[in-house]
Amino acid sequence: MSTPDNARKPYHSRMTRDWWLQQRYYRLYMLREATVLPLLFFLGCLLYGLYSLQHSEMQWLSFAQFMQQGWVIALNALALLASLYHAKTFFALFPRVMPLAPPLLMVAGQWLASLAVIITLLWLAGVS
Amino acid sequence: MKTPKRSDEPIWWALFSAGGVCFAVLLPALMLVLGILWPLGLVSPPWLSYAGVSALLHTAYGVPALLVTAAVICLPLFHAAHRIHHGLHDLQCGYRQASKLLCYGLALLLSLLALALVLAI
Amino acid sequence: MTEYQLRIQRYDPEQDDTPRLQRYTVSGDHTTSVLDALLSLQQQQDPTLALRWSCRMAICGSCGVMVNGIPKLGCKTFLRDYNGVIDIAPLAHFAVEKDLIVDMTPFLAHLSAIQPYLINDKDDKAPHKQTPAQLAKYQQFSNCINCGLCYAACPQFGLNPEFLGPAAITLAQRYNLDSRDNGKASRMSQLNGNNGAWGCTFVGSCSEVCPKQLDPAAAVNQAKVESAKDFIINLFKI
Repeated sequence: MSTPDNARKPYHSRMTRDWWLQQRYYRLYMLREATVLPLLFFLGCLLYGLYSLQHSEMQWLSFAQFMQQGWVIALNALALLASLYHAKTFFALFPRVMPLAPPLLMVAGQWLASLAVIITLLWLAGVS
Repeated sequence: MKTPKRSDEPIWWALFSAGGVCFAVLLPALMLVLGILWPLGLVSPPWLSYAGVSALLHTAYGVPALLVTAAVICLPLFHAAHRIHHGLHDLQCGYRQASKLLCYGLALLLSLLALALVLAI
Repeated sequence: MTEYQLRIQRYDPEQDDTPRLQRYTVSGDHTTSVLDALLSLQQQQDPTLALRWSCRMAICGSCGVMVNGIPKLGCKTFLRDYNGVIDIAPLAHFAVEKDLIVDMTPFLAHLSAIQPYLINDKDDKAPHKQTPAQLAKYQQFSNCINCGLCYAACPQFGLNPEFLGPAAITLAQRYNLDSRDNGKASRMSQLNGNNGAWGCTFVGSCSEVCPKQLDPAAAVNQAKVESAKDFIINLFKI
C-alpha cells in the first residue's frame, strides 16, 4: 500500500569537487584562501635566510644570490600581491567579527598600520 | 539533542587570526624590501649585509628577537596551516585528522626551527 | 511585454531518477518577478510544475529557488534583471522532493537545536522590560524569515550537512544577546562544537544572499569569538 512516507523519493545532489569554480563569489573566496601559498614560499625564504645567517658568511651570500634569481623575485612579488589581497579581505572582515568602532574607521586604521610599516621599513632601508 | 564535543578550533583560530594580522600588517613591507627591492639592488642598507644582520640579531638577542620571529614567521605559518587545512576540506581532500596533524604539525615544527635558529646565532 | 526564456529543473519522484531540465517561454513586463513567471507557467502552461510559495512579498520565506545558480526569493527577483535563458532550480544543499520543492527538515532541526526562544528561569509574572539600547544589541539578527537561502549559499553546509549553519547560529546569537534571556550556557554547548560556529570558514556568501540583510556571516563569526571566550573560561574551571 502506498503511504505518503514510502511514496517519497527525495533526490540528493552532491557537491562536486569543483564547486568553487561555479560562482565568481566562490572563486574569490578560494583566491583569498590561496594567498597563503605564495606566503609559504616567502616564509621559506626567511627560514633559508636565518639558516644561512647561522651557517656562514659564504652561505649568506649564496642566500642573497638565491633571492636575486628571476623566478624567486617573481614569486615574492606574487607573495606581495597576495598579502595585499589578503589584507583587503582581512581588514574588511575584522569589523564584522568584532564591531568595536564604525567599520570604515576600522578598515582605514588597519590600512594605515600596514602603510606605516611599509614606510618605516623603506626609510630604514635608505629610500628617501 | 545531545551535547556535541567541544571543538579545539579556538586555539587554531586564535593563532590563525593573529597570523592573519601579521600577514596583512607586517609582511607586505618585508616582502617589498627583502623579496623585491633588495634582490634587485634598488636598496642595499648596511643592516642587510652579513655583518649587519648578525649585529642586529645579537643586539636583539633573546625575547625581542623571539617576538619578532614569532610575528614574522611562526604566526603566519599557523595562519597558512589553518587555511590549507580548511582548504583541503573545501576541495573534499580532507581526511580531517590527518590533514590537521600534517598542517599544524608542520607549522609547529618550522616555527620551532625558526626560533631555534634565532637563538643559535 | 517581453518574452523570457526559462530553463527549469524538474524532478518527478514517481518517474525520474535524476532531475531534468525543461525549457519554457513566458511573457512578462518590467514588474514580473520570478515567482509571477512560475505561477503563470503553472496556471497557463504546465499544471504539473510544483513549487512552494505564499505571501509574494518577502515575508514568508517560502519561495526560495536558485536563479542562475544563486539562491533568491522568487518574489523579490525580477526577470528584467536577467539576460538570456534564466536557470531556475530548487535550493542547493537540500534534498529535492519534487521540482522546485526541497525538504527543509534538516534546516528546521538545526534551528530547534539552538533553542530559539527566550529561556528565563525567573518565575515572576512581571513584564521583562527592555531598553532601546538592549534591543539594539540583537535587533539586526532578529529579522530572519527562515527562507533557507543562506544554507543554499553556504558551501560548508553543502560539504557537511551536520553544520548548524548560518540561520541557526544567527538565531542563537539573537537570543544570546537578548537581555531577557538566560539560556546562553545551553546554546553555547551547541555553538562550541565542530558543527557549531567552528564549521564556518567565513566564505561570506550567506550574507550576500540574505534577503533581509541580517549579515549572518558576521553573527556566526561573532559566535566564534563568544565560543573562544567560553573555551578560555572553561580552562579555568575544574
